[in-house]
Parts: sequence; structure tokens; C-alpha cells
Amino acid sequence: MTKIFSTVKATRPALALLGLGLAGLAGCQPDIDSNSPAPSPGSADFTSYVAVGNSLTSGYTDGGLFNEAQATSYPALLAQQFAKTGKGPASFVQPAFSAAKKDGSGYIKLQVVNGALAPVQPTAANNYLGEQVARTGTVLPGGDQLEAYSGTQPDNLGVPGISVLSSLSALTNGLAPYGSINPFYERLLTAAEKPTKDYVTYIGQKTPTFFTCWMGNNDVLTYAVAGGVASATNPFSNLTDTTRFRIGYNAILQTISKNGTVKGAVANIPNVTNIPYFTTVTVAAVAASFKAQNAASPGVFITARSAAGSTTTAVRLATSADLLTLTTQAFIASEVAAGRPAPGSLPTAPLPNSYVLDTNEISDVNGVVTRTTQLNDIIAKAARRFKVPVVDANTYFAGVAARGIATNGVNNTTTFATGNFFGLDGVHPTPRGYALIANEWIRVINSYYGSTVPSVDANTYRGVLLP
Amino acid sequence: MQVKSILLAGGALLAASPAAQASGFQVGLTGAKNVGMGGTGTGLYLDQASQFFNPGAFAFAPTGFQVGGNIAIPRISFRPGDADQGQRNLQNTNVFPFSGFVGFGPKEGKWRLGLGVYTPFGSELHYAQGWEGRYSLTDINLRSVTAQATVAYAITPQFSIGGGLTALVLGDVDLQRDIPVQAQGSTQPAHATLTGKADHKLGYNIGAMFKPSEKLSVGVSYRSAVDAHISDGDVKVTGLPASAAGSFTATKFEATLPLPDVYSIGIGVRPSEKLLLAFDANLVGWSRYQSLDFKYSGGVLGGAASSSSKRQYQDALAFRLGGQYKVTDNFTVRAGTFYDFSAVRDGFITPETPDADRIGITAGLGYSFGERFGIDASFLYEDFMKRSQSQDDLISLGTTDRVAGTYKTNIFVPGVQLYVKF
Repeated sequence: MTKIFSTVKATRPALALLGLGLAGLAGCQPDIDSNSPAPSPGSADFTSYVAVGNSLTSGYTDGGLFNEAQATSYPALLAQQFAKTGKGPASFVQPAFSAAKKDGSGYIKLQVVNGALAPVQPTAANNYLGEQVARTGTVLPGGDQLEAYSGTQPDNLGVPGISVLSSLSALTNGLAPYGSINPFYERLLTAAEKPTKDYVTYIGQKTPTFFTCWMGNNDVLTYAVAGGVASATNPFSNLTDTTRFRIGYNAILQTISKNGTVKGAVANIPNVTNIPYFTTVTVAAVAASFKAQNAASPGVFITARSAAGSTTTAVRLATSADLLTLTTQAFIASEVAAGRPAPGSLPTAPLPNSYVLDTNEISDVNGVVTRTTQLNDIIAKAARRFKVPVVDANTYFAGVAARGIATNGVNNTTTFATGNFFGLDGVHPTPRGYALIANEWIRVINSYYGSTVPSVDANTYRGVLLP
Repeated sequence: MQVKSILLAGGALLAASPAAQASGFQVGLTGAKNVGMGGTGTGLYLDQASQFFNPGAFAFAPTGFQVGGNIAIPRISFRPGDADQGQRNLQNTNVFPFSGFVGFGPKEGKWRLGLGVYTPFGSELHYAQGWEGRYSLTDINLRSVTAQATVAYAITPQFSIGGGLTALVLGDVDLQRDIPVQAQGSTQPAHATLTGKADHKLGYNIGAMFKPSEKLSVGVSYRSAVDAHISDGDVKVTGLPASAAGSFTATKFEATLPLPDVYSIGIGVRPSEKLLLAFDANLVGWSRYQSLDFKYSGGVLGGAASSSSKRQYQDALAFRLGGQYKVTDNFTVRAGTFYDFSAVRDGFITPETPDADRIGITAGLGYSFGERFGIDASFLYEDFMKRSQSQDDLISLGTTDRVAGTYKTNIFVPGVQLYVKF
């Protein structure tokens, strides 16, 4: 009896200690957050944020602008992150399409075609891939007209296709009423504004406390993706000259920054030769396909600039320094299907200039890379003039092209489709790509304004979707 | 010190937990008396757990039977370096390490025979839904049971040697992670599950004890390295887009996890009848673990049939100090502390083993009912140092298959053990 009694007594402290331990120690989740800096706006004021730009700013991806893409545009992500500082925008308006036409212009999907995965464009013939498009049936010079946007003026002012040259009416002597040409701009304007209101005037209607501006890409890109060929009927299809670019770019920054009194950030122009549109179909691959058909095939004949700085073209064999467009293979296949010789297989049937960005078109005195460098100098000077930092998108994309960009255990690369950074048009990022770009903006903004805007987990945004 | 374990994953891998009381993914929860005294034991001959700590010392231990269990209650927090969700708390899951030993031999004789079963590793980590590192790891569940047969012999009343043969009798793993491939119309990426059972690999431990007097004992021991090997694991992938199926033909995997050898030295001092002090030092040969490699029966993401993930663990030291005091003939109190150095280098931390230098504090109680029966309780609290790695670190080291951020862990482990002396 005595023993049992003492047992009970002895175990009580043990149980009590056990209980205390469980409650006191085990309940203690380590707290890391409280030792980390809380999001703060630094010296910036994000309460009214406006984004100026082109397709990259609008969220355009997979060859189209649609509601889901707008929702993951980098300005939308920035607005979302700015809000976490406590001094962010209460709302961020984007020019969405109506719910029944949520797929906007329509967008490319990967589908299995003849047993292989291929990007397929939405067209009337394929019922727009089942997408709920917002095309009205009217055709503008810049493409199918889209459902008009009737809400308040958006905070995301990104207009797919717009360039610095087409932003300021005076640069083309008012002969090119951009609001009547570009369907993405046309849908934002009233009937009276379409022939008269240029983009600089349009963005001047906003009174932001903070802005971002990523302009100039189309002053190089439009020409580059056309294989270095300017259209006789499109005044905005050539490389923009430095004189007019300087005037236009400074007008844009002066307007949106209210002459340097509004804080913001700008991004420069990436080297377009790194995008999958130019790196996916290689000269070597096309040459190999010709060789498979004809062992004596000497290579790929292209229509190229006849010499550095020349304005004439000549036919020659392509080298690995020449870039072919993403559309080349489909073009070759369609010509062969029509019973004609494969373009590029014979000196008499070369690849047309519009499918080739040859080495001189890239880097001679009038080349796209040369011009990109010149325009980026203008952007850097204008940024200094209006006291805003530059997101060096050119260096950033070169890094992504060289190494990919790894985040949270996933590496995203510029490889077409499987790289997940670029969408199915080979030019525009995926939502994940845009999220990564948003993080680069955040990095630069935080560094310049002393803010601690948190970055986003890019992996929560989709890359390329597979069927 | 003890053991470890295994496994996996398509590029990511495996292994266990915030294992209590030992670096890397070891678990050191064998013997409640030892746990209460900071995990010391190499220089002691208290009970049957000597088979584990130092089979040489087992020759001087009393004969008997003991069985014990613990509840390991981890609390792990992670704050991503590259995203804004703030701190992530794991769905903390308790695990239940246990051990049991029986030892036979003449009461005052020179030899002992023993059998033991214990759980050298066992861990479960479930990260929050959608957490930043889900392409590295979402869930891991490891279980293992090791059996040991031991013989010890006292060559003189002052000097003994012993050895044990160990076998991994049960080892299974379940590792899961997301795959960065997503189907049209789906909001979730594909998900991979790797499950497998480890081969029944054998290992050994040996030890010796020198006991010049009742007041002093010195022990050394060595536990062999073992390559835990899964030869026929299953790969299951869900949510895969149909067009990507051709890139994921693997249904089986093979992986090896090198488990470290452990050198230990320990000292026991008895200044009086009532007081026992112990000191241990361990050197754990983690540098064997340089990479985690998987071979698959077919292609996985990208079509490759194998994967390799850098580990580059380093050998790790641990120092332990403990003591016990007999308050009465029946009642004993214990306390201890230890400092354990991490096996994982900066920039190599993985979600399945958020290792860090850690400091431990232990306490224990023992009560005996007469000469033969008794109960021991132990309490272990372990605090991991906060540890961070940046994406720049990962890029420069080539370890971008894991996640940048800050980990912080603590573990509380109460345990209880019953014993009978023959």
C-alpha cells in the first residue's frame, strides 16, 4: 500500500511537468515575420498608380489581349504589391472586355496537329478555338475591331502595338490618326477622339502619384518581326529614327511625370534577337530538313541585305548569324503543300526577306540592335532629366536568355513553349514571365525609393498550358 | 546518435526531418535516461540503451528489458525570400519514435547478449498548400525501424568490448512535389508521388569501455555507415497534360541515400553515490552525402531518366553534457544540454531537411518501484538557429532546385520509458 501511494505522488509532478511543457514549449511556433521589415512605400506614393506602355504593359500574351491576361499584367501585379505597403492604390482599373467576350482578341493555343504539338491561331475558320472573342466583324488597318471599352479611363494605359512614334501625332504631321488604326487604342476612345486624340494627350488626362513607363519596344520590334522589312502602307513599320524617338519619348515622360514632379520608373528596350520568335527556328534545323530531302542541298537560301549598310537585297546562303522567324516552318510547309518548291531550298526560291532577320539587319549601322542601343541611350537621358530610375530590361532579358531565371525551385528559360517564360507568339511573356518582370520592377523601385514592396511568387502564375 | 535515412525525389529529395537531437536527418531519441541527460551515453552503462550508444559499455550494464516512446512535436516556420506571402507555418505533424531493448547475461558475469529495436528516423513534413517551394517538395513521410543484435564481453573488470549487428528491417518513404507542367483548363500543376521501401541493409556498431574505478568510465564507439537503398520505388504522376505523357514514362525509381558513420567518445564521472555526470562528443561523417541521385525506369520532366541534386554535406560535430542526481533511493532527476553543428552548408538547405546548428536542453525524471521496476520520463527542447539563403546564393552554388528564404524550427519531445531489471 505504501508503495502504491508513493507512486501516485511521484508521478504527479511528472505529469504536471509534461503538461506544462506541452503547453508552454510545443505551442511556440517560431516567428520569423516580426523580425522582417514590413512592406513600406519608402519615399514613393503609390496611392494613384498609372502604367504607360505597349502590349507588354497591357498583359498581352499568346498573341492576344484577354481578361485573364490583363489580370496578370505586370502593372496589375505591381498595383497588388504596392497595396501591401499601406500606401497603394485602392483600385487599379484595366480596360477589360465584357464577361461574355472575356477572351478579347482571342489567343493562340497549343494543340495536337498531325500528331505533333503546334501553336494554333484563333480564326473564324476554326471558330476561334471556342474562345469568347470580342471582335465586332469590322476590320481596321491594324486588325479586327474589338468591343469598345466604356468604363472610366483605365489606370493600365498599355496599348498593344503602340510605339513612341505613334504616340505623338505631330511626329507624323497628324497624317496617321492612330485611334482609327489600332483596334486596341480605338476601343478606348470616343468617336470624336479617334481621329484626333493621340496617346500623349490620352495619358495626360491622368493625374497619378506614381507611374511606370515601358515604351519604345515597337519602335524596333515591329520592323524586326517583319524580318527587317517596312511596309509601304504602314507609317509605323520601320525602325524609328533617333530624332523623332527623342522628341516622342521626352514628350511621353514629360506628360506622365508632370514635368518631373511625379515619381515613377521606366524600362528600356530589350534586344529583340533574344526572343523565341527568332531563336526557335534555326538555320541549321531548316538546312537539315532540306538535306533530308536532297542530300546535295547546300543550305538555306535567303533574301538578305546585300551588304552592311546597304538598302538593296541579294540572295545568299544563310549562316548561323542569320535569324529566321518563328513563322518560317509553317510558311515552308504551306508552299510545299501548294506544290511549289520549298522556300529557301533553291537560289531561285529563296526565303523572302520578311522571314529573315539577317546579320546586317541585326547589327549594321541601320540594324535593330544598333538602333536599340541608340534608343536606350535616349531613354536613359530622359529618365535622368525626369528623375526616375531605369529598369534595364535589355540587360535583364539578356540574362534570362543566357541562363534562364530560377525562382523557388523552377527554372524558366526563353526556350519556346517549354521554357515557360515566353508565350506562344514567341514575343510576349507568359503570366509567369510577367510576374518575374514585375519582380524586376519592384527590385529597381525599392532600390531607388527606399521602399520595401514585396515581390511576388512568380510560380503561382501560369507558364505555357499544354493540351 | 544514430541514424538516418532516406530518400528521394525527382530532383529533390529526401530525408527526414527536423530530426531531434542530431544533425542532418538523424534522430537521437533512444533511451529515456540518455535523452534526459543531453543525449550522452557513450561513457555510461546505465541500462539496455548501451547497446545503441556503446556496445562495449553494455558488458557492465544491468540485464533487463526496457521499452519507451516519444512524441516529437516540431514547429517549423519558413519565410520565403522571393515572395510576399509572409511566414509559412508547416502543417506540423507529430511523430512517435520508440525503442525497446532486452539484455541477458549472468548477473555478475563477463558477457551480455542483447536485442533491440528502435526508430532511427521517422519524420513527416507537410508544407502549406501552394507554398513557394512546392516544386521542390510538398510532403515527406519517412518511417524506419532498425533491429540490432549485440554481444559484449568484459575482458577485465575494468575493460570491456562489444559489437552489434544492425539491420534496417523497415524503411519506407513517401515523397511528393509538384511538377511545373500545367494542363489547359487546369488551375493546378501536375503532381508527383514517389513511394518506396528500403532494402534490408546491414550495418554494425562496436565499442569499448575503460572503467578504472566506480567513479570514472570512459567509452568509445563507432557506428558504421550504411547506404540506404531503394531499388524498386514507385513513381506516380497526376494531373499531367495528355500531350506531356510521352515525357513522363517513368513508373519506377532507384535511389541511394548514404547514411553517415558516427565516431563517439564519452566520459562518465561519479563524484558521489548520488551524482553522475556525463560528457559526449560525436563526429558524424555526413561528408559521404555529396549528392542525391535518382534513376528512373523512363523519362521524367525533360525526358531525362536520371536526376542529381547537390547535397555536399559536411562532417558534423556535436557536444553533449548531462547529469543525474538521486534525490532518494527511488527518485532520480536528470538534466542536460547539447550543441549540434549542422551538416548542411550555407546555400544547400533543402525543404526536406531544414537543418541548422541547434542547441538543446533536456530534463528527466526516474522513479523505481523497488529493485526491479521503474519508469523514466524525458523532456527535450531543441532550438534551431534561424537560417537563411538568398536566391543569389542558390544561383552561385548551382542549387536552384531548392527555395530561398529563412527557416526556423524548434522541437519539443516528451518521452517515457518503462523498464524491468532481471
